[in-house]
Order: sequence, then structure tokens, then C-alpha cells
Amino acid sequence: MRAIQRVEPTAWARLVLFVAVFVVFSWRDDRFFTTNNVFTIFEGFAFLGLAALAVGVTIIAGELDLSVGSAAAVAGIISVSLVDELGLVPTVIVAVLIGTAYGGVQGYLIYRLRIQSLVFTLGTLIGLRGLAFMISGENTVVMSDLSVAQSVRRQLWIFSPFSLVTVGCFVAVALLLVHTRFGREIYAVGGGRDEAAAAGVPLMRPLVLAFALSGAMAALTGALTSIKSGSAGPAAFETLLLPAATAALIGGVSLLGGRGSVFGIAIGALTLRFINSGLSLGGAPFYILTLATGVVLIVAVVIELLIGRPELRARWRRWRSEGGAGLRRRHQAAA
Amino acid sequence: MTSAEVLTETGAVRPDWSWRRASVPLAVVGAVVGLAVVGWFTTPEFVTYRNMQSIVRSAALIGIIAVTMTGITIAGSFFSLSVSQTAAMAAIGFAAFMSWGWPVWAALLVTFAIAAASGAAQGGAVALGGNPIVVTLAVGAVLFGAGAWLTDNKTVRTGTDASDWIGASRPLGIPTQTWAFVAITVVAATILARTRFGRELTLVGANRLAAAASGLRPGKITVYVFTVSSLGAALAGVFTASQFGQGRLDQFDGADIDSIAAILVGGAAIQGGEGSASRTAVGAVFIAGLQNLMVLRGFSYGVRILLVGAAILVSVSAFTLLRARRRLT
Repeated sequence: MRAIQRVEPTAWARLVLFVAVFVVFSWRDDRFFTTNNVFTIFEGFAFLGLAALAVGVTIIAGELDLSVGSAAAVAGIISVSLVDELGLVPTVIVAVLIGTAYGGVQGYLIYRLRIQSLVFTLGTLIGLRGLAFMISGENTVVMSDLSVAQSVRRQLWIFSPFSLVTVGCFVAVALLLVHTRFGREIYAVGGGRDEAAAAGVPLMRPLVLAFALSGAMAALTGALTSIKSGSAGPAAFETLLLPAATAALIGGVSLLGGRGSVFGIAIGALTLRFINSGLSLGGAPFYILTLATGVVLIVAVVIELLIGRPELRARWRRWRSEGGAGLRRRHQAAA
Repeated sequence: MTSAEVLTETGAVRPDWSWRRASVPLAVVGAVVGLAVVGWFTTPEFVTYRNMQSIVRSAALIGIIAVTMTGITIAGSFFSLSVSQTAAMAAIGFAAFMSWGWPVWAALLVTFAIAAASGAAQGGAVALGGNPIVVTLAVGAVLFGAGAWLTDNKTVRTGTDASDWIGASRPLGIPTQTWAFVAITVVAATILARTRFGRELTLVGANRLAAAASGLRPGKITVYVFTVSSLGAALAGVFTASQFGQGRLDQFDGADIDSIAAILVGGAAIQGGEGSASRTAVGAVFIAGLQNLMVLRGFSYGVRILLVGAAILVSVSAFTLLRARRRLT
């Protein structure tokens, strides 16, 4: 549970933000807090949450996977082409296995070549997008049996099978990260790679695992979202990285690596969905959502900068405990 | 015998030239030569003078963005993901200012001032410790959203031919974009390799703490390189707006990826401290040549993107391995 304790100082701020956004929107619009809208929010959460989890895990490992959008697009096209023959569950399993394998190989190569993951995943971001265009023949792929789509988006109170799968993934990844040795290793190599290596943590395993998780989650997002809508386009998910990274960061994942929790990522994804859902109910066009997401991301970065600068924090603490006089005394003593 | 030669003989300093040090530049030039040879043998129309001109022209805009972004990479801040949006916003802003009947110089001045401010703000956030990728991703989203909001997601026309000469004229038969690309490359290469500022920038990228300890101000340099990159993107936007008489939000889609590809194929070290403006320019020509050859060969869009991605992966992996070997010996 130490991971949760470590993010404690900012957890309150995030919870306040979360509640404030929720209250503002449900007060401004009575449609906000209805079963149907909460269902819609959870659908959006399912879509965004998995992607945020994918990006978030690699950030915790001290890396960054830029390729989630392209991986999701490829997985979406594969699933939509296969689902008529294989049926729903086997298709999703195949897509996730492909995503896991792709992510694992990517993690291994990043470890092996000692290359910046930023650069490597930029290459795969472009390459997989090309692959998506190739295997789809540059056209939108459509499934013939739309009842399968219905079974993914069927409404069960405020959930759907899609959002239930997402919640399941969050619980599983949370247990993996907090309670297993493999998960702890991801935090260790993210927080201080040299220290972790000196302490005998193998570098390969956590990197492969983090990227494999990222590939699996991206593939699951792509597969379920595409099957839900009954079609998959090669240019889909192009802007997935922005909301995914934003959700992870407002969820308290630190860009310095080694800090963040799955619970925080869930809160982050829900907060961003609240904002988007509230704006959409107000009739805002898509680019206002992009604008809002960008502003939220900037605010998150600025807050992290303020929290991450120990000298600012220490000065603030001294001010609070001793008052201005104490600080002056300390300066005089130092002089 | 000069003192430098003595030092070289005794092994105290490395000679100015050696196979090992030349491996990265040679690899970059080799890639372009290889591409030309493949084009020569497979596609006769690839090596015509006309086609060469069209490659250089398409390389120019990406090249301007990439060469001005090289400073960010060398100074250790990876790259900027907001250049497409900056270029598009500059195109829209310039077109709007012209349509309001402003004189050309005023429209240029205000466009570049806004771009510089946006670049300096991003550089400031990175200097304070913000992750450059995330900061520029966020600013790009804000620029895109604000641009779409202000223009109602529509095309903005200049409505005048007063600015056509910027983007459509051809002094000595060569387009202005190409002149600008060459001039910017020469200036950037000179600044990076021959001036005190260029060496300071390289040191900041190679070792930020050492640079700070020796009295340099890494933060200031970070602000400069982001400002320059933003100005370069804005210049590309102004060229396009004045050439076609309009600015549109999606005009520069993919320009960020192409220019980053040019930097990486040009062999700049992504962790900073090494790179060159002229190699980035060669990288831009390589990417443009590759795209051109693939179009001539009739490759589909998907295959073309896939191969650009593969070119990035191969070159980055190769340069990483080359450098690792060099450092060991």
C-alpha cells in the first residue's frame, strides 16, 4: 500500500477537483446526474480509462508509450475483421494477445537497444498507423453482424459489458502493481533506475511488463470501441494520446516516474469524462473539448511543477510553521 | 609541427577527423546516396532535374520546421509536438490580418510576435522542469482548440494578393521557400557549430548539471530554442498562407511527425548534446525523397507511412548502436 501513501499529498487536491467538477455540472444541468448520463459517462470512462491506464503504467515505469492510438487502431481493424467468424470473446482475446505481444517486444527492444522509449514509440506510432491503413485497404472496415455490437454496449443500469471489463482491468492492474513483485519492480525502475539496478532489480522484466500491459490495454480499447460501433477506420484513435496522458496526469501519475496509482488514474479519467460530458451536454463542438483537455493538461503540468520543486515546498512549510519571522531568523543564522 | 598536432600524436586530444567520429554523418549521407541509387535503378523519372526540384521544394517547408527544431533536440528537450498547430495558427492569423487590410509588415510582425510568445511560454514551462513532450502536446491542443473556436473551424482567406510574393515568387527560378530553407540551414549550422551560443546549447544538452555548474543558464537557453522553433513553424505557416492565399487548421497535419523524422534520420542524439542543422536538412531531403520515390512507385498511403516509421526505427536504432560502440572505445 506504500504506493498509495506516497501520492497522498496530492490525493486531496484531486478528490476536491473531482467533486467540484461533478457538483458544478450537475448543478448547471439537471440532465447531468441521470442514470442515462451516468451510463454515458461510464462508457466514455471505459474508452478513456483503458488508454489512460496504458499510458499511465509506462509513465510510472519512467518511460512514455506514444503509440497507444495507432496500436488501438490496428487492434480495432483486426477485431472488426475477425469478429464475424470468431465471435465476440475469442476475437477480443486474440486482439489483446496481439497487443500484449507487440507491447512486450517493444519493451524488450527498448531495454535491449537502450533507446529512449519516446523515440522508439514515435517510430511505432507512425509505423502502426501505416499498418492500419494497409490491412484495412485504406477503407473503413464494417462488421456484418451488428447484434454483436449490441451485446457490447447493452445497458445494465449504469454499466455496460464494456465498462464492466474496464473496471475489471483496473482492479487487476491495481492488484498487479501493488501486491506483486513484478508490479513493485515497475515502480522501482521508474523512481530511480540506477538505484534500482544497484539494488539488484532486473531492468528487463519491468520494462517488458509495462509495455506489454500498455499494448494489451491499447488493443482492448481499440477492439471493444470498434466492435461497439460496428466499424473501424484506419485513421481512428489519432488523438487518443492527449486525453489519455491528461487523465493519467490529473490522476496524480508523476512524469518523473515511480509515482502514481491505478486508483488515481481512474479518478483522473472520470474527472476528464465529467468535464467532456458536461461540455457536450452544453452543446460544445469537438474542438472545445480539445481546448478544454489542453487547458486541463497545462494546469496539471503547472501543479506538478509546483509540487515537484522541493525548495518551493520547503519554503512554504517553513512559512507555515514559523511564520515570516522564523524565515528571516534562519537566513540571518545562515549568513 | 603545431601544438595541436603534438597533442594528437601523444593521444591527448582526439584528431579532428576519424572514422569513428565521422560514422554518424557518413551514415546520414550514405542513406541519401543509397536512396538516390535505388531510385536511379528502379525509377527513371526519379533522377530527372524536374523531379529533384520538386523533392527540394517539398523538403523546404518540413526542412524549415525541422532545422529550427533541431536546437530543442540538441539542448536536451527532445522535440516539440506543437509545431503543426503553431504553423497552422500562424497561417490562419496571417491570413486574417491580411484580410483586415493590414500592411504586410504589420501582419508579419504580429504573427511572429505571437509565435515567439507562445514558444517562449513553452520553453519557460520546460525550463521550470515540465516534460517537453507533455507541455507541447498540451499547448498544441490549446492552439488547435482556440484556432478552431476563433475561425469556427473554417478556412480563412487573405482576400488580397499583396502577400503573394512571399510564398509564390521564384527569385532566380527557385521558390522562396527553398531559398529560406537553405539560408536558415546555413545560419543555424553556423550558429550551432561556430558560435559561443551554439556550444553552450550543446553543453546544456550533453550535461545540464555541468552546464549549470559552469555558469551557464540552461533555463534561458531552453526558452531560446523553443522560441526559435516556434518562429520557424510560424514562417512555414506564413509561406503557405501567402502561397495559397488562405489559412486552414488542418493544413499542417503530420508536419510535426515529418520534421521529427527528419531530425532523427539526420542523426541528432535524442538525449541531447549532439546533432547538426545541416544533417537535419539532409534528413528532411531524405524523407521528402523517400516520399517522392514511393509515390512514383505507386505505393499506397499505408505502405508509405509504414516505411517512414520503419526509416525512423532503423536510423534511431543504428545511431544508438553506433554511439554506444564509440563511447566504449
